[in-house]
Amino acid sequence: MGPYLQQILLSSGAGAIFAALAIGLVLTYRSSGLINFAHGAIATYVAYTYTSLQNSGDLPVPPLPNPLAPIEGVFGVEIIDFPDFVHLGEGWNKWAALAGALAVAALLGLAFHFLVFRALRYQPPLTKVVASIGLMLALQSAVVIRFGGSRPPAIEPLLPDSVRRSTVDIFGTIVPWDRFVLLAVTLALTAGLWALFRWTRFGLHTRAAAENERYATLMGISADRQAALSWTLAAVLAGFVGVLVAPTTSLTPFNFTLFIVPALGAALLARFTSFWVAALGAVGLAMAQNALLYAEIDLEWFPDLNLDAVLPFAVIVVAMMARGQVLPSRGAVETGRLPRALPSPWRPALALTWVAMAAAVVIWGPFDYRAGMTNSMIGAILALSLVVVTGYVGQISLAQLAFTGVAAAGLASFGTEAGIPFPLAPLLAALAATAFGLLLALPALRVRGASLAIATLASALAIDELLFRGDGWFRIEGNPNRSFDDPSLFGVEFGPTSGFPVNGDEIPTPAFGLFVLVVLALACAAVIRLRQSRLGEQMLAVRANERAAAAAGVNVAGVKLAAFGIAAFLAGIAGALNGYKLGAVKIDSFSVLANLSILAFAYLGGISTVTGALYAGTLFASGIGVVLGEELIELGRYETYVAGVALAVTAVVNPQGIDGFDRQQRERVKRWLRARRDRRAMATAAATAGGSEP
Amino acid sequence: MSAAGAEAEGGPVSTASATGGESGAAGAVLETENLTVRFGGVVAVDQVSLDCRPGELTGLIGPNGAGKTTFIDAVTGFLPGRTTGRVRFRGRDLTGMAPHRIAWAGLTRTWQSLELFDDISVRSNLDVASRRLTPRGAVSDYVLGSPAPESVSEVMELLGLGDVADRQPTELSQGRRKLVGVGRALVAGAALVMLDEPAAGLDRAETVWLGDRLRSLVEAGYDMLLVDHDMSLVLRVCDRIHVLELGSLIATGAPAEIRDDPTVVAAYLGSHGRGDAPGTSR
Repeated sequence: MGPYLQQILLSSGAGAIFAALAIGLVLTYRSSGLINFAHGAIATYVAYTYTSLQNSGDLPVPPLPNPLAPIEGVFGVEIIDFPDFVHLGEGWNKWAALAGALAVAALLGLAFHFLVFRALRYQPPLTKVVASIGLMLALQSAVVIRFGGSRPPAIEPLLPDSVRRSTVDIFGTIVPWDRFVLLAVTLALTAGLWALFRWTRFGLHTRAAAENERYATLMGISADRQAALSWTLAAVLAGFVGVLVAPTTSLTPFNFTLFIVPALGAALLARFTSFWVAALGAVGLAMAQNALLYAEIDLEWFPDLNLDAVLPFAVIVVAMMARGQVLPSRGAVETGRLPRALPSPWRPALALTWVAMAAAVVIWGPFDYRAGMTNSMIGAILALSLVVVTGYVGQISLAQLAFTGVAAAGLASFGTEAGIPFPLAPLLAALAATAFGLLLALPALRVRGASLAIATLASALAIDELLFRGDGWFRIEGNPNRSFDDPSLFGVEFGPTSGFPVNGDEIPTPAFGLFVLVVLALACAAVIRLRQSRLGEQMLAVRANERAAAAAGVNVAGVKLAAFGIAAFLAGIAGALNGYKLGAVKIDSFSVLANLSILAFAYLGGISTVTGALYAGTLFASGIGVVLGEELIELGRYETYVAGVALAVTAVVNPQGIDGFDRQQRERVKRWLRARRDRRAMATAAATAGGSEP
Repeated sequence: MSAAGAEAEGGPVSTASATGGESGAAGAVLETENLTVRFGGVVAVDQVSLDCRPGELTGLIGPNGAGKTTFIDAVTGFLPGRTTGRVRFRGRDLTGMAPHRIAWAGLTRTWQSLELFDDISVRSNLDVASRRLTPRGAVSDYVLGSPAPESVSEVMELLGLGDVADRQPTELSQGRRKLVGVGRALVAGAALVMLDEPAAGLDRAETVWLGDRLRSLVEAGYDMLLVDHDMSLVLRVCDRIHVLELGSLIATGAPAEIRDDPTVVAAYLGSHGRGDAPGTSR
């Protein structure tokens, strides 16, 4: 029992940061109705700022846009050069560094509120989720850009040595004293917040605004000011605990950012309402994780399945199933609408033109254009899957990439290992993904909006950890058998290494590109047809209003299941194609952060139209748009950062995405032309009338 | 189930206790039996047994908070777990069925707050409701396509929505949007439509016009239950009226009887000293 107790007590570092994030999530939800996926990223950014200030007195400056970049790129000169760091004296004393870092945290909180979330207050949950994912990607990659992906240099921890070095003996278990300090700090912060909400005017006003914003506003309460204060407070809290626990947990840009998942689990347990439940749930979660982690090492029979990483998922699912409609809804003034999902009429000539252009690039383009085009086409299929589930039915799925992983692993099993021939093996693999999609749809039958986003995010994490790592069913890591032969049909091979008369010597060859193009064209046609069909109509009805859809005889559960199934199938097809492209399954391709950026790019392109999915495809990592962009501006390591910022900006300024924006502009031009024509016709009519009059 | 009516708080109105058993046997379209809805400790609908007869426009009135909308929600399957009692519709027991199955059985509704599908055209709003989509049907429609049922254009014609068929509901006037809601309920092959305060938000003239439209729909063969607290509308167009107060059925009868019923008058004009006059909108 001893080592377990030790492990449980040692978890208090993780417990403290989980709890700080969880109560911050509860705070911002209660004050502004928003679930901030970027909350963990704030803690990361502040902790790195602290180390940098203390280490060298350098204040990191987030990457700023350089409007002259295209000119600089073309002429190879540097006109504007923003600093990476502002040097503010030599290494700061730790308290000064803490104050500086917390000031940065407060600024971040305020900026989030005033620049982004205030504008999104009445937008649908999807827009809010997407914006906060954008900020999360931006902050996290800002840290990577400024500090690299590894741990920061060792610095003097906030807690004095006397506390950190001394230990306590509990039932024969030696535990460092600072663990108890961390726990005490966590509980004290929670108690403070609780008291603030319970007894102060700030708390009363925030509670009133959450209850009924309209009346609260009429009473002279500024819901806006309450929210701004809460955002600042939440960011400072997250930053403070981040700085505090950075030495005892492994601070990297990735894991702190992903602490958001267990924190979301704890916040859900608390129904985004109770600070105490959130904090204690978070601490308990961290303890259970550590105990599980130790059991995996300690016990022979215990499966090496990364169960500790799956635990937050289990907590989230249990919380949702037990509580049904989890989140208390706020009495908001009005709700905005999702991007319009217009039906696309059949335009064969246009479609053929597009296909011909894509084929030309794939066959005769230079190497990186061909590769970029192939990546984009696979990405577009993945984006199509989100068009179906999120665009048409309004269900936020953050797990699409996990389905591509399932399909890729399935392709290895069915194709390489079982020897099933080409068209069947990838189809079976996509069907395996469909099965997972249907499984994932189950929470969607009970929860919606941001809760569903959390559930799917957690599922993606669970699938990743359970299936692809350790002893997982698909065992991709270091498994040499997980590779694919080139697909072929009737003796014609069309894999990335298959020969082709033109450009056949470089991988991927045009043969593969054309194959992907055919699949993409089929997928587009299938989704366009879906939008025109009865099922598509019912999907939009469900998206618009679930209650009314049910009353009109729409089987809401059935429609949702169908959407998740179709979407997972499409994602599975994309996964199989990606498997063929890489020749083997690669585990990193399915990471949780990548999952988030998929939704981000799909939204950026236009989440509710087929054209939007094609735009999204060009934006995906190493897609054709990025290859082109690389020519103009050196994006390189700024890619994720730019995408994250662009996402938040899109959500605020133009929720319709690129496709919607494009449509609006075309409409505007058309209207202008029509108006001009009408004016001319009238002028002519007036002239003839005038001429014939006398 | 006449016992239920007798238990109703309003007491001595004979018609209320008579409804359940006898007229039910006479072929009621819809019949509820001791329908009760509880929200925690609050009983929003208390042992209500009432019926709607074929060929009739039935009214359901009551002051604010009487439980009218809750009654509709319960009958159409939106309050599972909170509802007890039975709902019989055209000889079928609908108790505990999912909302979409209740719609398939031919019992549809409109919403006071409209709840239209704002993202799709008026025609599509009706189209969605006009057919049941089974998995097989969905696939065959996906592959082969299928024509819109004639009921869609018929109903649009009937309600005068033909000229706005391809517009989005958000572009229409409030009155027109109400009609889209009614149309959506009608096209589902409805045997009975429950209208939840269709006159709310309409002015006098529009209300009169709406009443005439409803009357003509009944003549066209649609049975309806009209829920409203606008007494004048209900008294003018309904064949028979049920009155709810504080969740209980207090009276049932022809408009003339209801108008003169002292219990109803007390309920409306405020036996509790608080006026909630007929015709006030929420």
